[in-house]
Amino acid sequence: MIKFILVQNRQGKTRLSKWYHPYDDDEKVRLRGEVHRLIAPRDQKYQSNFVEFRNDKIVYRRYAGLFFCVCVDSNDNELAYLEAIHLFVEVLDAFFQNVCELDLVFSFYKVYAILDEVFLAGEIEETSKQVVLDRLDYLEKLE
Amino acid sequence: MATSMRGLTQYISDLRACRVRELEEKRVNREMAHIRQKFKDGQLDGYQKKKYLAKVVFTYILGYKVDVGHMEAVNLISSSKYSEKQIGYLALTLLMHENSDLVRLVINSFRKDLEDHNEINNCLALHAIATLGGKEMAESLAEAVYRAMISATSTTFVKKKAALTLLRLYRKHPTVIPISEWAERIVRMMDDHDPGVVMTVVTVITTMAQADLEAFSGCYQKAVNRLDKIVFDGDYPPEYVYYKVPNPWLQIKLLRLLQYYPPPDNPEVIDMINGILQAIIDSSQETPRNVQHNNAQNSVLFEAINLAIHIDPESTVVQNASILLGRFIMAKETNVRYLGLDAMAHLAATSSSLQAVKKHQNVIIQGLKDRDISVRRRALDLLYSMCDTSNSKVIVGELVRYLQVADYNLREEMVLKIAILTERFATEYEWYVDTILQLISAAGDHVGAEVWYRVVQLVTNNEDVQLYAAAAVYRHLQATTCHENMIRVGGYILGEFGHLIANEEGCSPIEQFQALHSKVNLCTAPTRALLLTTYIKWVNLFPEIKEHLINIFERYTHVLDAELQQRACEYLALSRREDGDELLATMCDEMPVFPERESALVSRLHSKGEKSQDKRTWVIGHKDDNKGREVERFKNFRKGTGDSATIMASASSAIAASREAVPTPPEPSVPQRSMSQNVDTMMGTTTTGPAEDIMSSLAELDLSGSTVQDEPLLPNGPSADLAQLQTPAAPILMSNPAPHINGNGLVHTATLGGVNPTLVAPLTVGENIEKWHERLSYYNEGVLYENAQIQIGVKAEYHGHLGRLALFFGNKVDTPFNSFFASIDNPISSALSVAFHDAPVHEIAGKAQIQEMIHIECKDYFGGEMSTPVLRLSWLVGDEEPKMLVLKLPVFLTKFVESVELESGPFFERWKIIGGPPREAQLIFPIKLLSTGAVDISRNNRIVAGNRLSVLPNIDPKPENIVFAGVLHMSSTGKVGILGRVEPNREAKLCRLTVRSTNEDVSAEILRLTSKPLNLDSAASL
Repeated sequence: MIKFILVQNRQGKTRLSKWYHPYDDDEKVRLRGEVHRLIAPRDQKYQSNFVEFRNDKIVYRRYAGLFFCVCVDSNDNELAYLEAIHLFVEVLDAFFQNVCELDLVFSFYKVYAILDEVFLAGEIEETSKQVVLDRLDYLEKLE
Repeated sequence: MATSMRGLTQYISDLRACRVRELEEKRVNREMAHIRQKFKDGQLDGYQKKKYLAKVVFTYILGYKVDVGHMEAVNLISSSKYSEKQIGYLALTLLMHENSDLVRLVINSFRKDLEDHNEINNCLALHAIATLGGKEMAESLAEAVYRAMISATSTTFVKKKAALTLLRLYRKHPTVIPISEWAERIVRMMDDHDPGVVMTVVTVITTMAQADLEAFSGCYQKAVNRLDKIVFDGDYPPEYVYYKVPNPWLQIKLLRLLQYYPPPDNPEVIDMINGILQAIIDSSQETPRNVQHNNAQNSVLFEAINLAIHIDPESTVVQNASILLGRFIMAKETNVRYLGLDAMAHLAATSSSLQAVKKHQNVIIQGLKDRDISVRRRALDLLYSMCDTSNSKVIVGELVRYLQVADYNLREEMVLKIAILTERFATEYEWYVDTILQLISAAGDHVGAEVWYRVVQLVTNNEDVQLYAAAAVYRHLQATTCHENMIRVGGYILGEFGHLIANEEGCSPIEQFQALHSKVNLCTAPTRALLLTTYIKWVNLFPEIKEHLINIFERYTHVLDAELQQRACEYLALSRREDGDELLATMCDEMPVFPERESALVSRLHSKGEKSQDKRTWVIGHKDDNKGREVERFKNFRKGTGDSATIMASASSAIAASREAVPTPPEPSVPQRSMSQNVDTMMGTTTTGPAEDIMSSLAELDLSGSTVQDEPLLPNGPSADLAQLQTPAAPILMSNPAPHINGNGLVHTATLGGVNPTLVAPLTVGENIEKWHERLSYYNEGVLYENAQIQIGVKAEYHGHLGRLALFFGNKVDTPFNSFFASIDNPISSALSVAFHDAPVHEIAGKAQIQEMIHIECKDYFGGEMSTPVLRLSWLVGDEEPKMLVLKLPVFLTKFVESVELESGPFFERWKIIGGPPREAQLIFPIKLLSTGAVDISRNNRIVAGNRLSVLPNIDPKPENIVFAGVLHMSSTGKVGILGRVEPNREAKLCRLTVRSTNEDVSAEILRLTSKPLNLDSAASL
């Protein structure tokens, strides 16, 4: 299962964080820093999208200046989570029509709502982009 | 969804415009003060509350601590507007965590929304529970979440979210979820028409089934059918196709679920699965159009390969797959190389032939030099798994070479792995010694203590290697700088075996001494302490350098470190005794052989990475490592064949119902013949059937907190043995009079010269001895022996299969006891290991008491009157005749029983399943009544409980009857569940005691031990 999801920019500023494990606030700060230092220097071309982290592993992918990272059990299927990240990014992209970092900042509360439609309780919840987008459309129309 | 809020946008823009942190803080403080004021004034409308709360949340996300808004969030979730509720819920989930006190305030609101008719509200509540759910929520909301999940009126969104929320609650607090009751209903949801629902349900089942494979067994055929439909029939809605791959995530989940079950017995099912797997492998040959397509295709492919290996590592499918893997590990894409190596490690870890993997050895070794540390790790794991005697030299050589340049955080693990491989696959001792010494000198600080303990242990236990080891370590000590670990190994080995090379050129005693002593300045205190022990051994072995050594001891009598000083003083006194003194020779005798134990290295390695939520389907390592784990994972799982089916049906109607629901599908059956045999021998019986299941599940009831790792009551493994000898905790005399058992079961006893007469003396007899002994069978403290001169007390402590016995020897007279000698004679060393913690003292002053500690480990069943370890004591008082005592040690099989709580239902179910003789043992015997003519219930209770069996209340209506249960722990044989009842009859003055367990020997012995103090004929204490 997913322990946490982090979206950070190249400077290490966290744009989205979702924790499925009860870390306290100090631990969260530590984790953000550690993950950034682990992921940011990795080579995009010659290094894989997976790296061991403590007893788990991080599956990550870089989109422009943003790193999307999920921390999963060492046992989990790496590519499944790598593509789940991509699915989530495609949903964001379709929802915000060309998503960029600023969308994540200004509409943070929507991003959390979108996240809850794709991932829940540390697991992948829905894998059809169409189903998620239709649902978001419907929620968007509610007052 | 909440439309944009202008105030919020403005606030975010302001903060972004702040160039420096101080300005940002100022802006935040101003805003928070403003909001606090607004909240205090009250009378805010929903929009304002929402806006302010959103600002608070944003501030929190930025990393500021916020102290407002909690109550407003609680209020806002009761709003009728979705956009307001959503912000309220968001604030709650971010500002709180599962242990917050505030959680209690919102549980009722959550419940209200969860049970609301509006599915949007249901979903919001589920999101929150899925994020915040802890123990308390699990207790109060699990039922409602479950109902939302199974309700026919729930929308697919509610079903999906409820399923995963239930999973969260289960993970947080598994005991409140009655999974075996709900299992059947949950499994049925795998037939839902919505692929999203199916995937979440499969996720839930995958986790829950790990705890109860049997309850969810109906999922197996459903998973296979669903895969079959996706792969062959193209049965999936178009919106679930991801870059041309049909629903890869669902396929992966299904393939993973099947790996948690043992391979099916039914050849038809195997064929069906193999067909699916082959089709997946074939379809992956298609050249992918883009990264996503490629990844999606491979994600399914690798999961399929893992399942194929799990089903049968020798199958054609796996052979085909291994050709693919050979290509993958050379692929250009790093991800593919990584996954290829990972899958190959799985194959190597389970396959009986490493041939397919070995073909790629050179490529894999190249993997150690990959640019990505993740790939390097996978290559290391694979090399570790594929190593055997044929390639160990090459692989270990490569690993040692790579170690010098390896990443720092990889080195410790590498050292462990190298040490294990070297030991496991060494064909010559010389190679083993050379490699390990090279490892110690190359890896320095990355060498854990276990590694050098293990070398010392192996060298001590193998006479053939001692000479070579001494010479080799001496060579290493010639280097100008040595790592401290090398000095320790050197000190130990030369101290024991230095004399073997003393006649060689350049290895004279004085040269050995100089080689070691020149390094002492750089050593820490524990190493110096070890070296002092080396020196005292040399005083014995090399009298020619005695003066130098005494000189050192003298110097160390002045050091500040208390431990070193004490050693130096003791050793000095010892070495100053006149020549020809036997004491020195005896004490400095060669170390006895260490008892053979499992290498601590392997357990150390496996303790890493065991924390993941789901159980691993396989571990890095060899076939045997994985086989054992599989047996462990599947031991509770048997499919009904023959007579067991009827018992299962009566035991669990739910399961029976699920069978009827799917009458035709060929169900996976008993895992594998070889495996079930394993289980049988583990349980120590030859009968088959479900009884073992039930009993092993009984054995598992008290798993919590009873493992060695949880509470290291006793140090375990060779490292611990050595640690006791080498750590400065106690002053040390190397010659240990306690018997050590070598592999052949011979008892080595170092004595104080000549044969000690106590070693052959019969058991001491005396009027109270039997009574004291018997009392200790149900008490942990008491007197073992007492006469006018000596008193021996016992205090015992047991935990699982381990125990610790403290013996207190009290001298009751004024004259000191001299030449006090204690040893243990253990006729059942294969079943029970018994050893003194350290060398017993040799003198007890007048009116003084000393304490000796004995460590006990129960490995296997033992029983009967005579199979008990014996304590042999002798001492001198003044000029009197030597005194002698031979006593049975109060170690009983029941001491290794742990209590267990059972309700009446499960108790009788298990009781019936074990059945009558031979696994039942029964005895009817006379009893003594109280003076009032009543049965002595409290004494009976005390004796049963004292035998560490738990007395189960409310099972038998008759107050004088006792029903009890327990689990016997044996480290190598495993656990045996025990049930029994005591039925006294006042009129007849008789009592019937019945014991049932899965092992007839155990039943008989438990009966013997518990009945003895109750039985008027045999009890010594009545």
